[in-house]
Amino acid sequence: MFLPRVQTMITVFYFGLFAMSFDFISGYTGYLSFGHSAFYGLGAYFVILVANGKVPLLGNGTPFMMLLLLAGLLAVVMALLMGAVAFRLTGVYFAMITLGFAQILYVFFSNWDYVGSNPRDGIAVLGRQDGFSIGVPYVDSLNMSIGQLQGDTFTWGMDFAAMTGIDALSPISHTIVFGPGEVSYYMIGLVVLVCYLAMQRIIHSPFGRAMIAIRENEERARAVGYDTFRVKMGAFAISGFFGAVAGGLFTGYRTSVAPENSFYFLTAGDALLASIIGGFGTVAGPLFGRLFHEGLHEFLTKEGGGLLPYLRQQLGEGTLNTVILDGFTVAEGIEVFLNGRAGLYIGLLFVLFVLYVPNGLLGTLRAYLGGTVAGQVAAAVERRVRGWKL
Amino acid sequence: MIPLVSLVDAVTHFLDPSVLGRVLFDGLAKASIYVMIAAGLTLIFGLMGVLNFAHGSLTAIGAYLGGLVMVTFAASASGNVGRIALFFVAIVVVFALLTAFGGAMEVSLIRPLYDRPPLYQILLTFGITLVLEELLRMVLLFYDIQPSTDWLAAQGTRPEIISKTHDVVGLGVEGLEVFQILLGLAITAGVWVFLTRTRYGLYIRAGSEDGEMAQALGVNVHQAFTVVFGVGVGITGVAGALLMWDSAWAASINLGAEVLLPAFVVVIVGGLGTFRGTVVAGVLVGFVDAFTTELFTSDIVGFSALPELFIFLILVGTLILRPQGLFGVEEVGGH
Repeated sequence: MFLPRVQTMITVFYFGLFAMSFDFISGYTGYLSFGHSAFYGLGAYFVILVANGKVPLLGNGTPFMMLLLLAGLLAVVMALLMGAVAFRLTGVYFAMITLGFAQILYVFFSNWDYVGSNPRDGIAVLGRQDGFSIGVPYVDSLNMSIGQLQGDTFTWGMDFAAMTGIDALSPISHTIVFGPGEVSYYMIGLVVLVCYLAMQRIIHSPFGRAMIAIRENEERARAVGYDTFRVKMGAFAISGFFGAVAGGLFTGYRTSVAPENSFYFLTAGDALLASIIGGFGTVAGPLFGRLFHEGLHEFLTKEGGGLLPYLRQQLGEGTLNTVILDGFTVAEGIEVFLNGRAGLYIGLLFVLFVLYVPNGLLGTLRAYLGGTVAGQVAAAVERRVRGWKL
Repeated sequence: MIPLVSLVDAVTHFLDPSVLGRVLFDGLAKASIYVMIAAGLTLIFGLMGVLNFAHGSLTAIGAYLGGLVMVTFAASASGNVGRIALFFVAIVVVFALLTAFGGAMEVSLIRPLYDRPPLYQILLTFGITLVLEELLRMVLLFYDIQPSTDWLAAQGTRPEIISKTHDVVGLGVEGLEVFQILLGLAITAGVWVFLTRTRYGLYIRAGSEDGEMAQALGVNVHQAFTVVFGVGVGITGVAGALLMWDSAWAASINLGAEVLLPAFVVVIVGGLGTFRGTVVAGVLVGFVDAFTTELFTSDIVGFSALPELFIFLILVGTLILRPQGLFGVEEVGGH
């Protein structure tokens, strides 16, 4: 009951990927990409516009995986254009110019009537009936449809008893049925996992070391002989690629998008929250940060098994209707101070993290263990096993 | 996509004296608004190098506080003079409260961060924004003041002389715009006096030239930071109180985000930390805004987002051509 719902986890996955891509550039090179939502929005809109047949040369039946790849490449081009201008600046100015680019796209897409009849409210997939599917393009049996309201169901295993009509076979008959939610969970999780491993690989390559060198001291990195401009451009392009993939996954699952939840600068702000809470400068951290955010959000809403239904059950009518102050009852108090107030508590936590835990959850855990969690846990197990008399 | 009817049409449209006058007045009014909302931001950055992300929500809080004073006492002052006098009382109240709040915020939250990379100040003030916004939302729910929609009761306290459109030599001049221009001039003059005639103004000017040197010469930096942060936040609140009367902005939760971005643009375009630059950039953005709004409403160009879009195009254009801003010193943004 304390685990988040599958639907929540799907959000954690695709938004966590976006937060990871934000952290990839901001946490590892130290350049705060405050307009990172530009890439997320680009990926999100690209998928829907192709599905609605509004992108020249691409039919509305283009496989989803191709779309993700193309969206990523488009973002790479955009990142190189943006970066060519933005990397002439540092610090606050870099953050502002990326923010400026993102806001230009935001205003543009919320007013451009080509994308849909009411661009300010966003657009939905209208041009195709089937859900988007993740898998190997053009091989139907290796594709799984994802979607919030539609999507594949999947049965794993075999029911021999039903197939043969022999009841005696029932002990070896096992089936697991995945609903659309679970299928989306695994398929989106798979893409996010691959992206995570790719980013992880890049960070641990010489290129990734150069990125960290830039964060620690850019002048010194240049003096050592790195072409820092090219490293930064490369990092920004890679980060843009994964940001757009995250955006594509978001609309692939939700099949609708609005300027507010894609291009708007506060979308990048949410990624920033996730990165700081999870661990700035760790690849996996933002995913945990987002999990925390979504978990708290779910905990503080009326639906599901969170705090509010629990309080309502435990407190009873009498307590709920007790007047605290000037006709203000306990029930209203819960409504005002708890229901949907995740933003407040996340914000408070964020401030506390910036002040006292600047490394975030994962970074602090790493500092405590003295290395990456995976490495230290494995080493500890190894030490323990060696001690055993076999 | 952007159908230009004809260049000649546009030129003749703007040569019409009544249109020209309207654009001039709109531009001046918008310029004063932009200067007012950016002034606090630039003061704080000038001395401390802190880009205050919480600026927008503090403006929103100022708008609600100002509105609260106006609505509570509106009945006791119904005439033109009474209401305007009451507005100045509201401004003083808002300024005092927010200056105290800003000072407390600097001492308790921002002070521990000065020895960290400047990135962390952006992060912290961004977090403060989220908290303030949610707190504001909670307070509004608690008192049953509708959140997120414009707070109409506050706008209703506008005196008649300001709501009306006056006829001056054939030009329709809105009272509110005149009021905004006058107040903008007063605040600009006030900040200028603060900068050139007071000790803390001297510190700000010294700090934006060379912060380390100012410190070495014995400026009580801690105290100066607290005072300047407080005053910067106070001015922001006053700007909010003014916006409360303007139906284009009004007191709402969203005011925070609406104000924050133009304020950033104006401050960056002018050059971070220079008040002169902020004023020039505010006038520039104000006039571009007025001009493009006119262009859009008169159906010469059929793309409704032009004013909004142009603000950010100015930002990007400035940063490409002159990264330190119009009047900025190159080293200021170097960290």
